[in-house]
Amino acid sequence: MRSLIRFFSSLRLAIVLIILLAAASVLGTLIPQGRTLEEYAVRYGGAAGILVKSGLTGLYHAAGFLALLILLGLNIAVCTLTRLPGKLRRAFRPRLETEAKALAGFKIHDRLKRSAPLAEVRERLETAMREAGWRVRSESRENRVHILARKRTAGLFGSDIVHLGLLVLLAGGIVTAAAGFRTELALSEGLTLDVPKAGFALRLDKFDTEYHPDGSVKAWKSSVTVLEAERPVRQAVIAVNHPLTHRGYSFYQMSYGDDWDATRVTLAVRKKDDPAPARPIILHPGRRLALGDAAGSEIELKRFLPDFVLGEGNRPENRSYRPDNPAALVEIRGGGETAFEGWVFANYPGFAQAHGREASGWEVGIKAFDAPRFSVLEAAKDPGVPLIWIGCLLGMAGLFLAFYWPAREIRAGLEEANGRTDIGLGGTAAKGRDRLQAEFTALVESLRRPT
Amino acid sequence: MTESTFFAAALAVYAAAAFFYLLFLFNGKERSAKTGFAVAVAGFVLHTGALILRTVESGHAPFTNMYESLSFLAWASVLAFVLVTLRFRMHRVGPYLLLIVIGLMALASSPLMPKEATPLVPALQSYWLWLHVSVTLLGEAFFAIAFVTSLMYLKARDPEKKERLDAVSYRAISVGFPLFTLGGLVFGMVWAQKAWGTYWSWDPKEVWSLITWFVFALYLHTRIVMGWKGRRSAFIAVLGFLAALFTFFGVNYLLAGLHSYA
Ligand code: HEM
Repeated sequence: MRSLIRFFSSLRLAIVLIILLAAASVLGTLIPQGRTLEEYAVRYGGAAGILVKSGLTGLYHAAGFLALLILLGLNIAVCTLTRLPGKLRRAFRPRLETEAKALAGFKIHDRLKRSAPLAEVRERLETAMREAGWRVRSESRENRVHILARKRTAGLFGSDIVHLGLLVLLAGGIVTAAAGFRTELALSEGLTLDVPKAGFALRLDKFDTEYHPDGSVKAWKSSVTVLEAERPVRQAVIAVNHPLTHRGYSFYQMSYGDDWDATRVTLAVRKKDDPAPARPIILHPGRRLALGDAAGSEIELKRFLPDFVLGEGNRPENRSYRPDNPAALVEIRGGGETAFEGWVFANYPGFAQAHGREASGWEVGIKAFDAPRFSVLEAAKDPGVPLIWIGCLLGMAGLFLAFYWPAREIRAGLEEANGRTDIGLGGTAAKGRDRLQAEFTALVESLRRPT
Repeated sequence: MTESTFFAAALAVYAAAAFFYLLFLFNGKERSAKTGFAVAVAGFVLHTGALILRTVESGHAPFTNMYESLSFLAWASVLAFVLVTLRFRMHRVGPYLLLIVIGLMALASSPLMPKEATPLVPALQSYWLWLHVSVTLLGEAFFAIAFVTSLMYLKARDPEKKERLDAVSYRAISVGFPLFTLGGLVFGMVWAQKAWGTYWSWDPKEVWSLITWFVFALYLHTRIVMGWKGRRSAFIAVLGFLAALFTFFGVNYLLAGLHSYA
C-alpha cells in the first residue's frame, strides 16, 4: 500500500503519463479518426484492417488512452492528497518559532539591534507589519519573541485547486461518456417527433435559411414548438450558436436538407397537335393522374432527381442533394399503350431523354418543383456538463491563486540583552520574491528609523 | 485611409523599429534600443488602427481568416512585447521578437492569403468568437516571448544574462499559461458546447491545443517540483511554442477537422 501511494504520488509518473498522452494525441491527429474501413483502405492499403483493429482509428476512445487518463487522475489525486495535510498545517497551525540560525538561512534576511526594550520593539514591529497589511501572530517563549507575518496564504492552495478542478473535469468526462445521450432529429415542416426518452415532443413549424447579400448563408433557423402531452408549452427559434434547452435536453441546429422524395412537381403537359396552351399538372413522385382527354390518358411522375447525372451503365442517378440539374421521369399511358416515357429537365426545356418520344404526340416540361425542407436538430442530454463547468471554474481560480496570489511570510525572532533588542528577520515567498524583497526592506527601514 | 494602408504602414514602422534594435545589438547603445522601442510602439498604434478599421469594415471580429488571424497574432505579440519590455527592460528581446512579428505580417500579406473580408458562416457568429480567439492568441503571444527568451538563453554565455532570460521566460509563461488555458481550452469548450452541443470532440485543433497545454504543464511541474531551470526548461518552452504554432498553422493546412473554417 505504502509503495503504491509512493508510486502514484511521484511526479516522475506524472511526467511519463503526460508525455505518453501527448504522444498518443499527436498520433490521433495524424491518423484520421472514426472514418470507414473503405476510406482507410484507400489511404493505407493492406494495413487498414490492422489499423482499425488496433484501435488507432478510434484512439481517443480506446481502452489504452482512457487508462492513461485515469492513471493521470489517480496520480493527481494521490499526489495532491499526500501533500495536503502538511500544507493545511502550515496554513492553519503554523509553527511560530524560528531559530536565529534558521532566519539567517532565509533567502531574504536581515539582522539589526535597537536600543529599546523588547516589549517596545515588538509592539513597534507588529504595528508596522499590520499597517503594511500583514496578518501577524506572535508568541514569547523563554527570552525570545517569535513573530510570524503572512499575506495571501490562500495562494498556497492554488495548485491544489487546479488539481481538484482537473479531477472534477475528468469526472465530468466520465459522466458524459457513461450517461450522455445524443441523437439526431430530422424534422420536415409540420412534422412532430417524440424526443427519445424525454417525455415531450418537438414540432418543426418553419425552417428558414437567411442569406448574406453575397449569397452565402447567414443563418439557419428552425422555429419549433415543444409539445407536452400533445399540448404546446413553448415556442422557440433554434439557430447555430442558439440552442434551445428544455427539461435537461438541448437542441442544436446541425444541418438541413430537402426531402426530394416528397417533391411537389408542377409539369407542363401539352398535346402537340392541340393548339391550347400547356396544362399545369401537379404531382408527387409515385403518383398518377388522369389527363381527362378522349383517350383516357394517365400521367405518372415515376421519379424526381434534384441533380441528374448518368452514372455507371448509363443509369440515371443523383449527384448531390442540391437542385443543380432537376429532372423528372414521366410516363403517359393512353389506351393501354405508353404514349410518352422519358426524363424531362427543368434546366433544358427543349431536351428530353425519351423513349419513343418522336412517336409520341406529347410534350412535357418541368414548370416548377418544391421540396419540403427538413431541419436536422441534434438532441443532447449530458449530465456531465455541469461538472465540466465547475472543473473549469476551479481550474481558473486555482491558476489565478497559483500565479497571481503568491503566499509570502516574514518571520522574526526578538531577543533582549543588556537593554538592547536583537532582531532577526527572514522572508520567504513561493513566487514574486522581488515584491517581498521590497516589502521586507520597507519594514526593516521603518525599524531602523529613530523614534 | 483603408485598413490595408494602416497594415502596410505598421509593417514598415515595425521594420524600422527592428532596424534600430539591430543597430543596438551591434553598437550596444541604450539610445538605439530606446528609439527602437518608441518606433515599435508607434507601429503598434498604426497596427491597432488597422485592426479597428478591419472590424468596422467587416462588421465582425478581426480574426476570422488566416490573414486576419496572423495579423492579430502579430499585434498580440507586440502588445506582450511592450508589456514585458516595460516590466523587465530586456532590450535584447526586441530585435528577435520584431523579426517574428515582421515574419507573421509578411506571411499575412503574401498573395496566397485571401484578404477580403467575407461574411461570417453561422457557426462563427457568436460573441464567443471574440473571447475564444483573442484570449488564446494573447496567451500564445506570451509563449512567443518565452520562445524568444528561451532561444536567447540557449545561445547566451554570460551567467547573469542567462539567469535573467530564464526568469523572463518563466514570467512570460506564467502569464501565457492562464490566458491560454482560459481562452483556448475553457472558452473553447463553452463555445463548442453552445454551437455543437458537445464541449469536446477530439477535433485536431482541440487536440493540438491540449498537446500545447500539456507541454507547458510539463514546463511548470519540472520547474516547480523538480527544480529544473535553464537549459532543460528552455527546451520545453521552445517545444511548447512550436506546438502552439502547429495548432495555429499546421492543423489548418495539414490536418482536417471541424475547425477547418478558421
Ligand atoms: C495535466 C495535468 C496537470 C496540470 C494542468 C497541473 C497544474 C498545476 C499547476 C497550474 C500548478 C501550479 C504551478 C505553479 O505554482 O506555478 C501545479 C503544481 C503542482 N502540481 Fe500539478 N498539474 C497537473 C498534474 C499533476 C500531477 C499528475 C501531479 C502529481 C504527480 C502534480 C503535482 C503537482 C505538484 C506537486 C505541484 C506543486 C504544488 C505546490 O507546491 O503548490 N500535478 N500543477
